[in-house]
Amino acid sequence: MDITQENFDHTSKFGNESQNETIQQNDVTQHYLVLQELGDCCSSVGNYTQAQQYYEKAATLAPDEVGPYVGLGVVALQKNLLDDAEIAFRVACRLDGSCAKAYAGLAMIAQQRADYEQAFKMYLKSLELDSDNLIALLGLFQTSCQMGTFSKVIHYLEVYLNMHPGDISVMFPLAALYMRDGSFERSRKLLMSILTLDPDNEDAANLLEEVEHNLAQQKQTVM
Amino acid sequence: MAGNYERKIGPVVSVLIPTFNRPRYLAEALSSVLQQSYTNLQVIIVNDGGRDIGDIIASFNDPRLIYINRKQNLGKAFSLNQALSKAEGKYIAYLDDDDLYYPNHIETLVDVLENQTDCQVAYSDLYKMCCRIMPDGSRQILSKVVEVTRDFDRFFMLYYNHVLHVSLMHYRTLIEKTGPYNEQLNVLIDWDIARRLAFFSDFQHVYEITGEYCHPIDECDRISIQRRKDQDEYLKNVFTIRTTRPAKPWSKIEDLSIIFITQQMDNRAKETLNSIRQYTFYPYEIYLPLPQVDCESLSMPNVINVSVDSFASQSQRIDAALAKCDGEYIVILPNGFPVRNFWVEDSLYALINNSSDREAFELEGSTDELWAVVLKKDYLINARREFPSLAILESLKAADIFVRRVLAEEIPFQFDQLLEKTKLAEKNGKWQQAAPMFEYIAEHYQNQLWMKTLAAKAFFNANNINKAQELCSEINRQRPTVDTFLLEAKIKRTGKDFTQAIKLLEQAEQILEGKELLWI
Repeated sequence: MDITQENFDHTSKFGNESQNETIQQNDVTQHYLVLQELGDCCSSVGNYTQAQQYYEKAATLAPDEVGPYVGLGVVALQKNLLDDAEIAFRVACRLDGSCAKAYAGLAMIAQQRADYEQAFKMYLKSLELDSDNLIALLGLFQTSCQMGTFSKVIHYLEVYLNMHPGDISVMFPLAALYMRDGSFERSRKLLMSILTLDPDNEDAANLLEEVEHNLAQQKQTVM
Repeated sequence: MAGNYERKIGPVVSVLIPTFNRPRYLAEALSSVLQQSYTNLQVIIVNDGGRDIGDIIASFNDPRLIYINRKQNLGKAFSLNQALSKAEGKYIAYLDDDDLYYPNHIETLVDVLENQTDCQVAYSDLYKMCCRIMPDGSRQILSKVVEVTRDFDRFFMLYYNHVLHVSLMHYRTLIEKTGPYNEQLNVLIDWDIARRLAFFSDFQHVYEITGEYCHPIDECDRISIQRRKDQDEYLKNVFTIRTTRPAKPWSKIEDLSIIFITQQMDNRAKETLNSIRQYTFYPYEIYLPLPQVDCESLSMPNVINVSVDSFASQSQRIDAALAKCDGEYIVILPNGFPVRNFWVEDSLYALINNSSDREAFELEGSTDELWAVVLKKDYLINARREFPSLAILESLKAADIFVRRVLAEEIPFQFDQLLEKTKLAEKNGKWQQAAPMFEYIAEHYQNQLWMKTLAAKAFFNANNINKAQELCSEINRQRPTVDTFLLEAKIKRTGKDFTQAIKLLEQAEQILEGKELLWI
């Protein structure tokens, strides 16, 4: 096929910007992207068998891409195939050492195996790479609860909330941690904000009652 | 009776397929032709000195196939000419031995040429199918992208090819006017013939994807790619094409005559002439009003000597040349004028598209000492006839010809310049800026579908999801592609509509997997 535009730069007034590109990024990745998207969508609707097939095909087209392995890891996790999931996430980590999702996946596996220390470490690693990763954040919170250590979690929840103000799914655990930490006033403020955003939030209302009770006790003690 | 039958089944289409040592893909290419919905075909395969493929041809056992088995490798242009000599169809279509027609390709183009246009040339869009060649020779498909989808623009065609040869169909009789394929060229033969076709017909762009051409991503041993690496040879081909002038009369292009003013054929004059050859893409002839010049020694095509008295004034020389000029447009060009890219085409384009009469355009770079102008021949002839004793500029003024410079908005390729600026914004991540610019181009220039697709992508990246969705739905209703299915799926996914996203992605996947190509 002789597309005559290709080597015309010597006279082109338009350099490479006209419709004469040779190999573009999209030329190499398009099919992979279609399969990856298909995998992600099937996974989102719970069709894990189909998702797995798409991810496997995507991996053959783009063996250096991390996406299919993360997808395969998630699917295996959903099927409770922890060993398979671990293999997939480890491949993803090897392909891209800064893949926050892969570390979050490894953390979830460790959490399911009740290896909370390892889970905590992996969630932290994931959040260091992407402080925006809600799954890792909530996983870290859960693991902290399971381990009874909260000091590091508060920081990450605060960072996340700065970036996503109004995200109730994070505001509530943070309020709970404040309360547990004895920061009743901060906890109360946060719970009030939740109830402004979602007046019917029963969990927040109950916790607020508890916090206000603690605040009242605190005041009495001071007096 | 025969006439009725022909009307029912349609005119014969001759499909020309040159091939050289690609038997693996040739069978698929041939299948795609023989299983066209339009059946009145004459399929001419020319083996250009490669391995014998007689068994492949025979395996189809189809009387529409004509096989020319040449032992000597004489090139694609020679092969196409050989096929043309056998062609009897009303229309000519082309296919390379590793490309594919979709089943409606011929029918779509015949229908357009027979019923929908006065054009004698039509072309559709094709997917560029990028693939990786696997060790067993099979293709791993990486993408199918509509890379070239530009509306016909004759001025652009003279400068740069924008029509894929495989998507082209034209009246066979046009070849009598254009002349055969140039066998001296070893690259760009497609552009050469398309450019010559543009002298005689408009091209109808059909917005349907009717086939695909193969583009292996890591195959650098292709003949055309290898040949392009030799820059000198490549440029030689470009200059040959640009200076090719089919026999007149031309129905769609008005000729340009350049009157070159010099006292003698010194080195400076030779350099100026060489620059004309290097930078001019509009068809031209150069007239040299000099006492006696050995045009052969200039080794330049399209140069005509006009013999004048050695004591003739500049005006007399121009008048003498003017009397011989064949072009509808005249350029007066002094020796030493700075000839560069678009030196004449910017002003010529303004002149061609100028609705107001009686204007001449000074060329960019023109000065009092090196005065250069382009204008209609009739005006110059009248001015010289009425005011022969005046110098050229004075005679034009006296004849009420308004001489001016071209304005920025009058030069050619406005579309491309705007597109370049917008793509730069896009490249720099300025999506919010790029998106409305693409929309503006779509509204004010040709190439609507192409520009709207770019606009939809830019709106999506600018997080204007509603606008992206609106455009994308419109495009997908009109002419979906893998890319636009993928984009709309991403939009749907953003809105958590996974079911619709999956449907769109499955359609994209079907195209990528060639599920509609039932003959394979």
